[in-house]
Amino acid sequence: MDDGIHIEGLSKRYGEGDTAVDALKEVNMRIAPGEVVGLVGPSGSGKTTLLKCLGAVIEPTRGRMTLGGEVIYDSAQGGWKTPDLRALRRDRIGFIFQAPYLIPFLDVTDNVALLPMLAGRANADSRTRALDLLQALDVAHRARARPSELSGGEQQRVSIARALANQPPVILADEPTAPLDSERALAVVRILNQMASQYQTAIIVVTHDEKIIPTFKRIYHIRDGRTVEEAGEGRDIP
Amino acid sequence: MISLAGRDILHSWGKFVLTGVGLGLLIGATLTMAGVYRGMVDDARVLLTNSGADIWVVQKDTQGPYAESSSIRDDVYRGLLGMPGVAQAANVTYLTMQVRHGARESRSMVVGFEPGQPGEPGYLVAGRRLLRGHFEAIADVKTGFKLGERIRIRRHEYQVVGLTRRMVSSGGDPMVFIPLKDAQEAQFLKDNDAIVADRARTAANPALNRPGVPGLLDAVTASQTINHSVNAVLVKVGAGDTAESVAREIRRWKHLQAYTREQMEEILIAKLIATSARQIGMFLAILTVVSAAIVAFIIYTMTLGKIREIAVLKLIGTRNRTIAGMILQQALGLGLIGFIVGKISATLWAPAFPKYVLLETADAMRALVVVMVVCALASTLAIRAALKVDPATAIGG
Repeated sequence: MDDGIHIEGLSKRYGEGDTAVDALKEVNMRIAPGEVVGLVGPSGSGKTTLLKCLGAVIEPTRGRMTLGGEVIYDSAQGGWKTPDLRALRRDRIGFIFQAPYLIPFLDVTDNVALLPMLAGRANADSRTRALDLLQALDVAHRARARPSELSGGEQQRVSIARALANQPPVILADEPTAPLDSERALAVVRILNQMASQYQTAIIVVTHDEKIIPTFKRIYHIRDGRTVEEAGEGRDIP
Repeated sequence: MISLAGRDILHSWGKFVLTGVGLGLLIGATLTMAGVYRGMVDDARVLLTNSGADIWVVQKDTQGPYAESSSIRDDVYRGLLGMPGVAQAANVTYLTMQVRHGARESRSMVVGFEPGQPGEPGYLVAGRRLLRGHFEAIADVKTGFKLGERIRIRRHEYQVVGLTRRMVSSGGDPMVFIPLKDAQEAQFLKDNDAIVADRARTAANPALNRPGVPGLLDAVTASQTINHSVNAVLVKVGAGDTAESVAREIRRWKHLQAYTREQMEEILIAKLIATSARQIGMFLAILTVVSAAIVAFIIYTMTLGKIREIAVLKLIGTRNRTIAGMILQQALGLGLIGFIVGKISATLWAPAFPKYVLLETADAMRALVVVMVVCALASTLAIRAALKVDPATAIGG
């Protein structure tokens, strides 16, 4: 059983014939539950394509993906294991975006509680779960506020809470510190590490951010669609 | 599950309410147009009811007195009174003209009637009935005339002694009731210059001015200055007889046209105001299309403004039908706000219209259904755009 994330020989080709572009070429990754790894690479290297494949929003051309011990995609066995990719994303994958992209017309609690509600949990249970997460992320005092009333750092913490709301085995974070200053960026990484450890969630952080790259213990470099794993500095975050 | 549409409306209620008010004014105009038509129909019915007649006897081969001009001799009613089934018969004249009051004028329908007979206004809201044989008038309140005021009709002045309500012509002109003899004179009276010219013309005609026949010219001249015409005779049918059977006998024996209440209503509503009804129908159709276009545009624009949020919602697992439901509910919410504003607006401004505007609850209910259907249809464009949003756009900036 492979918990966390396990990717084997993942490839993605856009187009056909002479115009075909191989965005991912035989990518292999393995991230354990509770681990936070960085995915680093220049623009056009394939980071976003890899994230979209992992996020079940585009279909890889070849390979195998396992999330939380469950094979979700295997090209040798017909591709996606479930036809309901929407439910797969909702229940088993958390997303953190470059901008928080909170729903502006919902308050902080409901932004977080929306996911469990979409999964069919009762409103009261969902809100209790949301408040627990907000407490853990130290933004419970803003529970009734609208996203527009929060600072950038608070918004990003709420988006982390939303990603954790359905207790997914995997969180995909797409440049989550891009709009933040050094102090807040490092605070977000610290929180991600805490949450990964506390909820045993595997987290992939796609980033360009030089401030946070030294904090990862493991980093996957991606270039021209291929990944290379290397040990990170794993610097302590003050 | 929380109501995403409700939360969005509450979040941006100012935008929603302002848009709803704009749409509501348009819906209010639509309801008012329908009310104008209903008012015309109701005016026609009230006109017939208040005349107190069961049968309208008019010139043969005409649809008078409201739809076409009709002229019959004023002694015809005597013959009608002798017919079986006729309880009352009275002459009336109708003439639409400018009635002067001081420096201002009011376009009115001047009705000549005989007090106590069909054609007399059914009720007064102020003042009294006509007591003198000449130069007294009862006016509809819409003329703006007050009790005791003096108004000028042609060459004579009349004192307003009574006021009535809802007495207007099929064209919406308020009525002024005066004694029949005065009305006949007003309808056919010529000015002094015309009388002098007519007399000279008659005198110059050797056939009418024969030297060997003294008194002929005077007799001819006198006959030219007296008028014995009326526009219609209103008949009340006695108990035990039907209007149709009496009208049939009048048509058969008197060689006149006789219309029952139903036939007269048909003439007024189906013929006289048919063009206006079609005109209003066109306006209603255009306003409906414009409202639909506005709702579609607003909802579409609002949806485009939320594309990123919709992409995120789809990415985190929101079903298409939840997103479609959110947009549909917003469109319906906008329609509901618009309808409420429209209904209130139409109710407030209807009394200010110069013609009677009748806002019927059934019309309002029909309008609500149409507004909701139009809003639902208008939202399809936005729903289509939202469902096309690729959740992948939420990833990767």
